Amino acid sequence: MLPILFAEAFNWTNLQQQCITGLTSGALIALIALGYTMVYGIVELINFAHGDLFMLGSCLALTIFTAFGLAQPGAIDSASNVTILLAIACCLVAVPIFCAGLNRSVDYVVYRPLRTAPRLAPLVSAIGVSFIFMNIGLFWVGPQDVNFPDVIQDRNLLGDDANLRFTLKNLLVVGVTVPLMIALTVFVKFTSLGKAMRATAQNPTAARLMGINTEFVIGTTFLVGGALAGFGSVVYALYVNTISYQMGFQNGLYAFTAAVLGGIGNIPGAVLGGLVIGLVQALGTAYIGATWTSAIVFAVLIVILVFRPSGLLGARVREKV
Amino acid sequence: MAAILTIDKLRAGYGPIDALHDVSLTVEAGEIVAMIGANGAGKTSTLMSVSGVLKARAGSIRFQGQDIAKLPAHQIVKLGLAQSPEGRKIFPRLTVLENLQMGAFTRNDAPGIAADIEKAFAMFPILKERRGQAGGLLSGGQQQMLAIARALMARPKLLMLDEPSLGLAPQIVVQIFDVIKDLNKAGMSILLVEQNARMALRVAHRGYVLETGRVTMSDAADKLLVDPRVRAAYLGE
Ligand SMILES: Nc1ncnc2c1ncn2[C@@H]1O[C@H](COP(=O)(O)OP(=O)(O)O)[C@@H](O)[C@H]1O
Ligand SMILES: [Mg+2]
Repeated sequence: MLPILFAEAFNWTNLQQQCITGLTSGALIALIALGYTMVYGIVELINFAHGDLFMLGSCLALTIFTAFGLAQPGAIDSASNVTILLAIACCLVAVPIFCAGLNRSVDYVVYRPLRTAPRLAPLVSAIGVSFIFMNIGLFWVGPQDVNFPDVIQDRNLLGDDANLRFTLKNLLVVGVTVPLMIALTVFVKFTSLGKAMRATAQNPTAARLMGINTEFVIGTTFLVGGALAGFGSVVYALYVNTISYQMGFQNGLYAFTAAVLGGIGNIPGAVLGGLVIGLVQALGTAYIGATWTSAIVFAVLIVILVFRPSGLLGARVREKV
Repeated sequence: MAAILTIDKLRAGYGPIDALHDVSLTVEAGEIVAMIGANGAGKTSTLMSVSGVLKARAGSIRFQGQDIAKLPAHQIVKLGLAQSPEGRKIFPRLTVLENLQMGAFTRNDAPGIAADIEKAFAMFPILKERRGQAGGLLSGGQQQMLAIARALMARPKLLMLDEPSLGLAPQIVVQIFDVIKDLNKAGMSILLVEQNARMALRVAHRGYVLETGRVTMSDAADKLLVDPRVRAAYLGE
């Protein structure tokens, strides 16, 4: 037994492969985590409905693929590449807009009236919205896991006989998530609205005294967070090829964990947290066993929080009063 | 002189409680007006009402003739009314420079903003030295300077200062008050809230005494400085 374990642990190719898998799913988790962390940063609300918003995005993506005639068994083999690309493009436009609009609307209708209420009120409302979303998802795609058309070839981009596999699907995930994260960073760091977002997160009263329309800024934050979840949901569906009305729960939980791990409210922290969780998930599954994945992820979370209670990148600046 | 700010029978509060019952106050253009009063008298609430952060429940607030009592906070700044709030409220994780830029949020004349940032640096050279540092890392005195400079970035016609001397070392307080005098000499109208009544009344032209949400006295600042009631209650004599 022991020598086999030993040999496996030092199989570098396998380790590298697990890292590719881990970083890919980590990038997806990060995209969802950004929505949690941005909303928390600005209104101190843990938006429990965010994972289910992500789920509804996948449902819409499936509906769009069905409309393009790609969801029926065998349809993909006869479909032209143009149709497939059109369907993907359509998803990458419509789903983020849908998720952004839905997120913003929920804020306007549900959370905004509770802005000055005790913290627990919007939190419980968010749990309520989460259930409503799940019911909509159940109604939309049914109670079972649903196959999402596997339209992206799983061809190895590193060559057919290379030891490591980095496929078109991996590239899709990286190609969507990384530019989005860069765009978000540039937006938050350099644009006037992005700076207003940071200012509102750090001191809403002072932000209002600067002439910032904080409600508009909060609305924009929900839009941006929702759009990121929308992009994430399309890429997830294309990458994993299974969706269900329950997928928001676990993915949302991992993403929320990533946000906390990185330091909730901190944008680079959410990305880092997502990547760490993706890696822990992949390595844990490969070397310890899939049964233990969740336990390992949360054990890592607890250990990190014991040593860094405000997360990996949280509260880098102590505030003087 | 024309009144730049006229508060008339202002009532405002939090939840079921009114913190301000009946506050009336005028600032003439070019004046420094001091508002003094004990902790909890309603000074901050008055400034926050003028800024539109705390909604007026009754009464009127007129700024240059326009009733602003119902305007949202972000539109009030645009009219030329800026505040350096109590406790400074610096954005802790924005740099000094970004804090100043936030002060100019309602403006879009980039060259004018750049020129005003240089002016702020000339007024407070330490801010220039620390321009790239996070606001939260500044000392209390430096944060106060930043808060005043940030308010000035809106190019206000009326500057409201809430307890600018709070918690600062005496020589810094002197420096801050010198800046207040200089700003006023250059034409700025100032509404100054202070618990340090002596300092405030020395720089001000007129003063108001606020007690539990009501104006109980108002007079020329030098008269208030020698008023026995003010001396007993606020000057510790
Ligand atoms: N955010 C708030 N919520 C509830 N009551 C408040 C709040 N801020 C101030 N108050 C109350 O309003 C009254 C006036 O406070 P304030 O305007 O801060 O006075 P001052 O600035 O003169 O010390 C006080 O009784 C205070 O307790
Ligand atoms: Mg006060």
